[in-house]
Amino acid sequence: MGKLRILIFLLIGVTLITSSCRIAREAGGTYISGTSAGDAETLNWILAADSASFSYAGHALDSLATYDNEWRVQLRCAAKDVEVSEDGLVYTVTIRDDLKWSDGSKVTAEDYVYTLKDLMFSDWLNYTYQSDWQEEVDGETVFVTPEVVNEVTFTITRQTLDPEFIYTVRGLTPYPKHIAVKYEGDVKAFTQAPEFNNLTYTGNLGPYKFVEWIRNDKFVVERNPEYYLGKDTEAPYFEQYIIKIFGTPATCHGALEARDITYTGIDPDKVGKFKQIEWINVYTVPTTGYVLLAYNLRDNGWEGFKQKEVRQALSMAISKELMIEQVLYGFGEPAFSFIPKPSPWYVDKGLAKYGVKPLLDKEKAKELLLEASYATRKADGSIEVINKGGKPLKLTLVTNTGNEIRENVGYLVKQELSAIGIEVELKLVPWATELRKYLMNKVPGTDQEPRYNNGVGAVSEEPWDLMIMGFSTNPLSPSGSDVFYATKGGLNFWGYFNTQTDELFQRIKSKEALDEKARKELYAELSRLISEEQPVNFLAFQLANAGFQKNVKGIEPGINMGYNYHMWYFE
Amino acid sequence: MTDRLESKHIARKVGGIRKLVLILLSACLGLTALLDIFVVEKIFSPLVYLYIALGTIAVLYGVPPLYASRRLIQYYWVRARRNRLAVAGLAFILFLILLALIGPFLTADPTAANFEEKNVPPQGFTIEESVYNPETQQFTTKSITGMRQHPLGTDNKGRDLLAMIISGARISLLVGLFATGIAVAMGTLIGTISAYLGGWVDNALMRFTDIMMTFPFFILLVLIVYIFGAKLFIIVLVIGLTGWTGTARLIRSETLSLRTREFVMASKALGASDSRIILAHLVPNVISLIIVIATLSIPGVILAEAALSFIGLGDPSVTSWGMVLRAGQQNLDTAWWVAVAPGIMLFLTVLAFNFMGDGLRDAFDPRSAV
Amino acid sequence: MPMKKSWLRDYIIKRLFYAVIIAFGILTITFVLVRVGPSSPADKYLANVAARGQDVSQVVAAIEARHGLDKPIYEQYINYVGNLARGDWGWSFSTSMPVTELIKTHWIYSFQLIVLSSVFAALLGILIGIYSAVRQYSKTDYIATFLSFIGISIPNFWLGVMLILLFSVQLGLFKTYYDTSIPLFSLANLKQLILPVITLGTGMLAGYTRYTRSAMLDNLRKEFVRTARAKGLPERTVIGKHVFRNALLPLITIIMFDLGSIVFGGAYLTEIIFGIPGLGRISFNAIFADDYAVVVTVTLISAFLILMINLITDITYTYLDPRIRYD
Repeated sequence: MGKLRILIFLLIGVTLITSSCRIAREAGGTYISGTSAGDAETLNWILAADSASFSYAGHALDSLATYDNEWRVQLRCAAKDVEVSEDGLVYTVTIRDDLKWSDGSKVTAEDYVYTLKDLMFSDWLNYTYQSDWQEEVDGETVFVTPEVVNEVTFTITRQTLDPEFIYTVRGLTPYPKHIAVKYEGDVKAFTQAPEFNNLTYTGNLGPYKFVEWIRNDKFVVERNPEYYLGKDTEAPYFEQYIIKIFGTPATCHGALEARDITYTGIDPDKVGKFKQIEWINVYTVPTTGYVLLAYNLRDNGWEGFKQKEVRQALSMAISKELMIEQVLYGFGEPAFSFIPKPSPWYVDKGLAKYGVKPLLDKEKAKELLLEASYATRKADGSIEVINKGGKPLKLTLVTNTGNEIRENVGYLVKQELSAIGIEVELKLVPWATELRKYLMNKVPGTDQEPRYNNGVGAVSEEPWDLMIMGFSTNPLSPSGSDVFYATKGGLNFWGYFNTQTDELFQRIKSKEALDEKARKELYAELSRLISEEQPVNFLAFQLANAGFQKNVKGIEPGINMGYNYHMWYFE
Repeated sequence: MTDRLESKHIARKVGGIRKLVLILLSACLGLTALLDIFVVEKIFSPLVYLYIALGTIAVLYGVPPLYASRRLIQYYWVRARRNRLAVAGLAFILFLILLALIGPFLTADPTAANFEEKNVPPQGFTIEESVYNPETQQFTTKSITGMRQHPLGTDNKGRDLLAMIISGARISLLVGLFATGIAVAMGTLIGTISAYLGGWVDNALMRFTDIMMTFPFFILLVLIVYIFGAKLFIIVLVIGLTGWTGTARLIRSETLSLRTREFVMASKALGASDSRIILAHLVPNVISLIIVIATLSIPGVILAEAALSFIGLGDPSVTSWGMVLRAGQQNLDTAWWVAVAPGIMLFLTVLAFNFMGDGLRDAFDPRSAV
Repeated sequence: MPMKKSWLRDYIIKRLFYAVIIAFGILTITFVLVRVGPSSPADKYLANVAARGQDVSQVVAAIEARHGLDKPIYEQYINYVGNLARGDWGWSFSTSMPVTELIKTHWIYSFQLIVLSSVFAALLGILIGIYSAVRQYSKTDYIATFLSFIGISIPNFWLGVMLILLFSVQLGLFKTYYDTSIPLFSLANLKQLILPVITLGTGMLAGYTRYTRSAMLDNLRKEFVRTARAKGLPERTVIGKHVFRNALLPLITIIMFDLGSIVFGGAYLTEIIFGIPGLGRISFNAIFADDYAVVVTVTLISAFLILMINLITDITYTYLDPRIRYD
C-alpha cells in the first residue's frame, strides 16, 4: 500500500515536472498584419522620420527595454534595468552578453556608444531626434556624454537633470560599429548602404529576420531561431510575419473579413459589423492620441480668443459626448487635459470638465459671452451672440483633407457653434498647405524664417480662427507636450503664452520632480491649470479597435498590447 | 439673295461693335480685379473671372456667325434630328443643364452635415444598422428607412445625396464646358496657324505637339494639380492646357486640305492679312469638325475631373461627382447608394455626349446617308 | 513580294532622332515641374523637428543636402542627365532603393495588366465588330452597338469599384486584394487578374467594336467586294481576307493610340483600386512624396513606350498599305 502511494506521488510529480517544461510550442503559420496607412520609407531607421519605418525595423531589432500594459518595465536587450545615480546625472546601462550580430561577432557596449556618439550625434548624418539627447548648459545646447565602461556596460552622463530621460534611454537600439565605420562621414553611402537597407546585420537581436520588402505591397520577415528571448520558450511562434499594405481602409477591412489577413485596425464605424463576425475578435484598447480644437491666439485670429472666459464659453457649448457618439461611434473618452487616462501621471480630481455636464450648457455659454461683451440681450430676454461692432460672429475653421475623423469633427463643431449663433465656415486644405500657410508663422514685416512658433507677434500667412488637430502624448513623460503648451514650445503654433504653465513645465523637468510623488502632484497641478485655461478645447482621447482572427492566442489587450507579440501563437 | 446680303451687312456692323463691347468688358473686369486684389474682400473667385471672360468671347464671337447662317443650321438640325439616340442624348443634356441651373435653389445645402441622419438609404429602401454601445458592450440593431426629405439617401455625414448630385452636375458641366473650350480653342488655333503658315512654324509647332502628346496625360495631370494646388480653377486650366493635342492634329490636317482651295487664294490675292484669312475664312470652315470634336471631348474631360477627385486631388471645397464617388467607395458595404448614384450620373452624362457627338458627326458628314 | 524600301531606313533614323529630342523635352519639363513645386521632402521632418525645438532651417538644409537638392536647379539637371547616361537612374528616397531596382520589381505587374487587357479588348472587339458589320441591322448588331456605347461611357474607376462590390464582397468569388505571392505564370494569377482586366479592357473593347464595325461597313460598300463576290469567292474569304485587311489600317491606329495614351491613365486607376503594385501606384506615391527620381523615370518610360509604339505603327502601315510612303 505504501509503495503504491509513493509510486502514485512519483508519477504525479514526474507528470507535473514534464508538463511544466513543455512551455515550448510548435512554431507554425503565417501572421499577416494589414495596414492602409502607407508603406515605410526605409529600414535604415536612423534616417527615418515616419513611425512605420521604426516599426518595421523593430521586428528585427529590440530596444533596451519596453513596457507592458501596466507600465512595468520589460527587459529586452538590457540585462537589467537602467540604473540612475543618486544625483540623477549618470545613467548606467548593462546589456545582455548573449547578443550577436549576423556575422557572429558579439554585440558590445562599443556598438551602443558608437551609435550614439558617431551616428546619432554626428552632423554629417543629422539624426532627426537629436534633441532627445541634448541639454541646455549655460545657454548652450550640448549632447549628453556616453562612455564605454566594459564589454557589456556603458554610461550616459548629463550635466542637467531630466527625470524623464530614462525613457529615452530605454528605447535605444544599436547599429553595428564594424559595419558603420565603412560609411562614416559619407551620408550618401550610408543612405544607400545595402546592409542597413536590407537589415542583414541584425543577428539575434529581434524575434524575426528580414526576408523581403516589396514596396507598397508587403514586408516579410521570418522566424529567428536564434532570438535571445527564444532560448527557453522557442519564441516566436509564427513561421512568417508579414505586413501587407492596402490602398484603402475598405480593402483592408474586406481582407480581414475574408480571412485573408490575421490582424488590422478597424475604423470606428465598422466595429459593429466586425463584432458580429464569429471568426473575428475585436479588442478595444486605449491610445495616447487625442483630437482637439485649437483656438488661434495670435493676432490674425479672432481677438475674442485672447480672453480666457471666451474660450471657456465656446468649450462649454461643444458637447464632447455627442462628438464621441457621432464621430467616433462611441470609441473615445472625453479629454480635459493632454494627459491620457492610462498614464501613471493622470489625475482626475480638480479638472475643469468643459464640454460635459454640468459644464455643458449652451445658455450659460451665451451668458459668458455676454459678460465678455460678445453678445447682446434682446428685447425678449434671449441672448444673441455678436462680434464687436454689432456684426454677426463668423469664424473660420481649418482642418486637413484626407482625415475623415477630423473632417467630421469639424462639421460637428460647426453644428454645435451655430446653435449658439456663431457661424462657422469650414475650410479643408491639404496637409502640406496647412503646415505652410496656417501653422507656420513669422512676425510680419520682417524677413524672419517662418517657424511653427516665432513667439509673440508672429502670425501665419493665412488667417484662421479654429483648427481641428490631433496630437499624441507620451504617457510616461507627458512633459514632452511642452512643445505645444509652453511659450517657447517648438510646435506652439496657435500662440498660447502663459507664464504659470511655463513654470510648471520647468519644475517637472527639474530636481524637484525626481521624487515620483512630487512629480505626480506637479502633473496634477498642470492638468488642472490647463483644463481651466483652455488654450485648446481638448475633445477626446481615441480608443483603437484591433481586429484579430479568433485563432490568435496569447494577446493581452491594453495600451501596449504589442509588447509580448513574440509570445502569440495560432491555435 | 437678299438673305445673304442682309447677313453680311449685319456682320460688318457687328464686327465693329463686337470689338467695342469686348474692350469695355475687359476694362470692367480689369477694374473689378484690381479692386478685388487691393481694396475689397474677394468679390469674385478667379473661376468667375474665367467664366465671364470665356462666356463673353463665346457669345460675342460665336452667336453672330450662327445667326448669319441660320438656314445652314436648320439644314443640319433636320439631319441630326433623325438620329433618335442623338436626340435622346441632347434631351438628357438639356435636362442636366436645367438641373444644374435651378436644382441648387430647390434642394438642401450639399455641405450641410447632420450626423443624426447619417447613412439613410434612398426612399423605399430599408437597411439594418447595428449601433455599438461601448459601455454596455452590446449592440442594438436599428433599421433605417428612406425618408422623403432625402429621396436619394444621405452619406456618412448626413449630407443629402440628391443635393450633392445636383451640385456635382453643375461642377461637371462647368468643367466640361470650360476645359473643353480651352482645349478646343488652343487646338484650333495651333492647328490652323500651323497648317496655314507651314514651313518652320509648322515643324516647330508639330514637334511641340508631339512632346505634349507623348506625355502620359494622367501623370502630367496629377503632377501639375499636386504642385499647384487642387483648386477647381487650376484643374479646369490644366485639363484644358493638356488636352488640346488631338484637336490640333485633326484641325491641322483639315486645314491643310482647305489651304489649297480657291477661296483662300482669292483672299490672299485681294491682300487679306494672314490673321484675317485664318480667323474669317479657315476657322469658320472647320467649325463643324470643331463642334464634333468638342462634343466628343467633353466626356473625357468630365471623367478626368472625376478621376482626379476620386484619387483625392479634387477641390475639397466643391462637391463634384468624383468626390461623392470617393466618399462612397470607402463605405461600399454600409452605404452602397453613395457610390452608385454618382457613377450612374457620370455614365449617363458621358453616354449622352457620346450619342450626341456621334449623331452630329453623321449629320455633318455629307457621305453618310441620314 | 515585299519591296526594298530604301527610304524606310532614313525615315526610321529621322524618327529616332526626333524621339530623342522629344524624350529630352519631356525629361526637362517633368524635372522642372517636380522641382518647382512648393513642397519638399523635408516637409515630413519639419513637424518632428519643430516639436523638439530644433532649428528648422538648419535641419531642412541638411536634408536637402542629403538629397542633393541644395544645388541650383541647372546643376541638378546636368548631374541627373549625366547619371542617366551612365546608367545610374537615381535613388528613390521615399522607398530607399535604387530607382532601377524599383522599376525592375514592379514593371511586370503593370505590363501583364496592360497586355492582357489589350489582347482581351482587341480580340473580342474585332470579332464582335466584324460580326456586327456583316450582320448589319440584325438584333445582334443593335445589341452590340448599344453595349459598346455603354462600354465606352462607363467610368472605369467606378466599374472597378462596382465589380469589387459585387464579386468580391457580396459573392466572394475573388479575393479582395491582389496577392503578389502567387507565381506570375499560373492559373491562380490569371484568376485574380480577371476583374482588373475587365475594368481596364471594357472601355477599349467598346471602342474597338465600334471602330471595327464602322471600318468594315465602309469597306463592305466598296466596289472590290462586288468584284470578289462576282468572282465566286466564298463569303468567308471575301470578308476575312479582303474587307478586313482594308479595315485593318485605321483599326491598328486606334489600338496603338489607345495603348499609347489612354491605357496609361486607366491602368493607373485600376492599379490603385485593385491594389496591384505596378508602376502606376509607384509613380502616384512618388508624386505625393516629391520623389523626383521616380516620377521622372516612370514618365520617361511611358513616353519612350509611346514613341516606340507610334514608330512601329507607322512602319507597320507601310507594309499593310504599300501606297504609303514617308519622305
